[in-house]
Amino acid sequence: MKRGSIVVCICFLLLFLTVSLHAVVKNPDTFILANYGNLRTLDPCVAYDVTSSQRLWNIYEPLIFFDGSHTDKFKPVLATEVPTLENGGISRDGKTYTFSIRKGAKFHEGGDLTPEDVVYSFKRNMIADPDGGPMWMLLEALTGRGSTRDKDGKIIEGIFDTIDKCVEAKGDKVIFHLPRPYPPLMGILNYSSSVILDREWAISKGCWDGDIKKAAKYNNPAPGHEPLLKIANGTNAYKMKHWEPNKGFVFERFEGYWGPKPRLKTAIIKYVKEWSTRKLMLQNGDADRVRVDIQYVPEVKAMKGLTLYEVPLLSVTAAFFCQKINPTGNPNIGSGKLDGNGIPPNFFSDINVRKAFLHAFDRETYKKDVFNGLVIMPTSANVEGLAYHKDVTVYEFDLEKSKKYMKEAWGGKVWEKGFKMIITHNTGNEMREAAALMLAENIMSLNPKFKIEVRNVEWKDYLVKYRGFEFPLFLIGWVADYADPHNFMYTFMHSQGVYGRYMAYQNDEVDRLCEAGIQTIDPKKREKIYHKLQDLWYTEAIAVPLYQQIVVRAYRDWVKGYVPNAMLTDANEMLMDIWKE
Amino acid sequence: MLAYVIRRFLLLVFVLFGVSVLVFGILMTFSPERRAAAYVTTPQQAKDIPRLIQQFGLEDPFYIQYVRWMREIFRGNMGWSLVASRPVGEAFWRYFPVTLEMNLFAAPIVILFGIWLGTVSGIHRDTWIDHGTRIFAIVGWSLPTFLFALVLLMIFYGYFQLFSPGVLSDKLTMFILDNPEKFNRFTGMYTIDGVLNGRLDIALDALRHLVLPVLSYVIVVVALNMRVMRSGMIEELSKDYVITARAKGADKKIIHIKHARRNALLPVVTVAGQLVAMSMQGSIAVEVVFTRQGIGWWLAESATQLDMPVLMCICLFMGVVFVITNLTLDILYAYIDPRIRLT
Repeated sequence: MKRGSIVVCICFLLLFLTVSLHAVVKNPDTFILANYGNLRTLDPCVAYDVTSSQRLWNIYEPLIFFDGSHTDKFKPVLATEVPTLENGGISRDGKTYTFSIRKGAKFHEGGDLTPEDVVYSFKRNMIADPDGGPMWMLLEALTGRGSTRDKDGKIIEGIFDTIDKCVEAKGDKVIFHLPRPYPPLMGILNYSSSVILDREWAISKGCWDGDIKKAAKYNNPAPGHEPLLKIANGTNAYKMKHWEPNKGFVFERFEGYWGPKPRLKTAIIKYVKEWSTRKLMLQNGDADRVRVDIQYVPEVKAMKGLTLYEVPLLSVTAAFFCQKINPTGNPNIGSGKLDGNGIPPNFFSDINVRKAFLHAFDRETYKKDVFNGLVIMPTSANVEGLAYHKDVTVYEFDLEKSKKYMKEAWGGKVWEKGFKMIITHNTGNEMREAAALMLAENIMSLNPKFKIEVRNVEWKDYLVKYRGFEFPLFLIGWVADYADPHNFMYTFMHSQGVYGRYMAYQNDEVDRLCEAGIQTIDPKKREKIYHKLQDLWYTEAIAVPLYQQIVVRAYRDWVKGYVPNAMLTDANEMLMDIWKE
Repeated sequence: MLAYVIRRFLLLVFVLFGVSVLVFGILMTFSPERRAAAYVTTPQQAKDIPRLIQQFGLEDPFYIQYVRWMREIFRGNMGWSLVASRPVGEAFWRYFPVTLEMNLFAAPIVILFGIWLGTVSGIHRDTWIDHGTRIFAIVGWSLPTFLFALVLLMIFYGYFQLFSPGVLSDKLTMFILDNPEKFNRFTGMYTIDGVLNGRLDIALDALRHLVLPVLSYVIVVVALNMRVMRSGMIEELSKDYVITARAKGADKKIIHIKHARRNALLPVVTVAGQLVAMSMQGSIAVEVVFTRQGIGWWLAESATQLDMPVLMCICLFMGVVFVITNLTLDILYAYIDPRIRLT
């Protein structure tokens, strides 16, 4: 009995000793990130999500990349200089961009970087242009068309010849020829679809063979059939060592890197879906950083031994009014008439209704209760951090004003008859759910005849249904493809923008300004255009701007060197910047 | 007996056909847009949905889509898994060993521990032993696996820093990656591959990573087995042949173990068989909490993302598993109860 007790005591002592060991830096030359992003592909022409971009940005390199925390200032990477109007890299008419290509850079598999590799990479990615991929950005800038195919999926005649001519190598320079000035091009060149491939290696792996006449054969590969799906060969400081789908991704330092040698030898990205598991890994030092969703921020703030960074993202979420709802078998609008049991399909075409909803949104309470103050409340779609941003007037929370507009709406019929409708948000998004509930509760408090239900819809169904004009009021967000107001203002306000179209919002002046914004290179003129558009956002009461997210990145305090950037979401980690000590 | 087995295997073809039509039919109730949306993740990509519908022929009639799918299956192409970023067949053999490895350790414990606990409880009916095991069974069965797994993780890993999640430690994983020639992945199960490669350190490390997952699974599942066994024992012990044997002064141990327990085993075999079969589809909670990406995790992710080829593959696989399990159970019945003859 005595002996047993001694053994038990020793066991407990050993356990407590192990507990006290965790102040030491674990794995000093290895960085471990616990995340839950699903990596779909390593092919730059297909990758269009933050997880894939993170892998590609650490393996490959673009010509230029964000300079530190700036989203609109760049540093040269595989180019030797960032082209500007001043240094002649950008022509006066804004239609020619010239890059000098770095010498001495090597690919992981031994090839030397040449200007021909750069030209090939851009052409190959644009030629492939898979459905659902990111190539529309470069195609729009370099060819003037957002796709290589028309609406029916047929290849546009002459598109490959246009691609062939839009980029060329001359000596150690690469020159881009644009059909029209396109100010966001520099931002697009940072994207993971603009990284540089080794021409010979890519061809040997089954990519486009360099013959423009055969380009159609390589267009729009089916999902899973892209040649660079599982393989990678870049010039960056890290190479892919191993990728086990949904389990882990291992980076290894590339000893032949042309730039300064990074301090970390290895980096492991682990797929850990459950928050409690991620949290315990961070606590025990088995992970150097974990992904923290907004609801868990208070938990990491209470933990010791961490360094937290609050990083605002170039993203915005809003509640959109659909002005031409599809009435066919649509349960979201009840009877489809203004009879107290539904709403007509064009219910939100009356600006008074829109203004009533805008005045019913309590921004301050939302910020405090839902985000604990850790959020930026946007005033328009041109969020903080984007060029030409300005704080425009907002519709303050005032239920009396809301009541006044409802009484004026539809010639007083809305107030007299009442209405019934459904607000939708995507399943699992608590921030959007809270906003939807707040709008519903406040509007219903105006008049007992107003009945609003809040429903959640699974994300993929949500995508399909808002595009089918099925939701009267839908809540959805946008994350920047590139840091330019065009990417937001066109999307939200233009009648053909991703959201503008599905709100069925049409305003000729807005359309004209959105188009002028992208064709103007003079910053002062652009500023005027985008300021005007932001003013119109307010006067037209287009949508309810809800939040611009701030993400919290939680590192163990032994990790140094992280540089926040609003374009790099929390799925990203630029490994060459960080080290452990 | 052989004819019976062959007949049952022939029936398997019809079962699988039925399962495939049923599951395919259920998935077809989703609109083509919804199924095409599985290929997009952001609003930016949603513009390509009509083209994706065209590319995959998602608007074709049911029978055309079904025949097209069957044709691909016969060519050995089970489709592409969006969740796994791999062909379905390849992904299956990556995830299945993780689930199988856990079951190899958990299933014998569930069966043997359940039988032993049920026997003890049945023999000591209405004593503190019986009450204790019944409370254990009620708590175990009613405890959500997810919660129980989290509690175990918080205590053993969070506080004592023992039994980390995952399948293998980072150090040994890196060793295997650095020395692929020194470690062959024969089965995909590190405990077995470690032994086969003569690397006991890897086998033991993998075993250590299995402790908490197996424990969470066993505690929750064993309760059902135990309760069935207990009921069986109580029923057998009240039968005339037991009373007669006792009256004749037969050894209690022999009555309990040799006679009553053997007869009480029949329903337990059924339950245990079904439990083992069900466990082949993995435990979602255990796999998610302990970061062991197996079939359960894959199935859950595929269901939420409507990864159709994966759902079809796993449903067919489960069809095969259940048919084989039922066949095995029938054969086992005949062995346990000689009165049953398979014809």
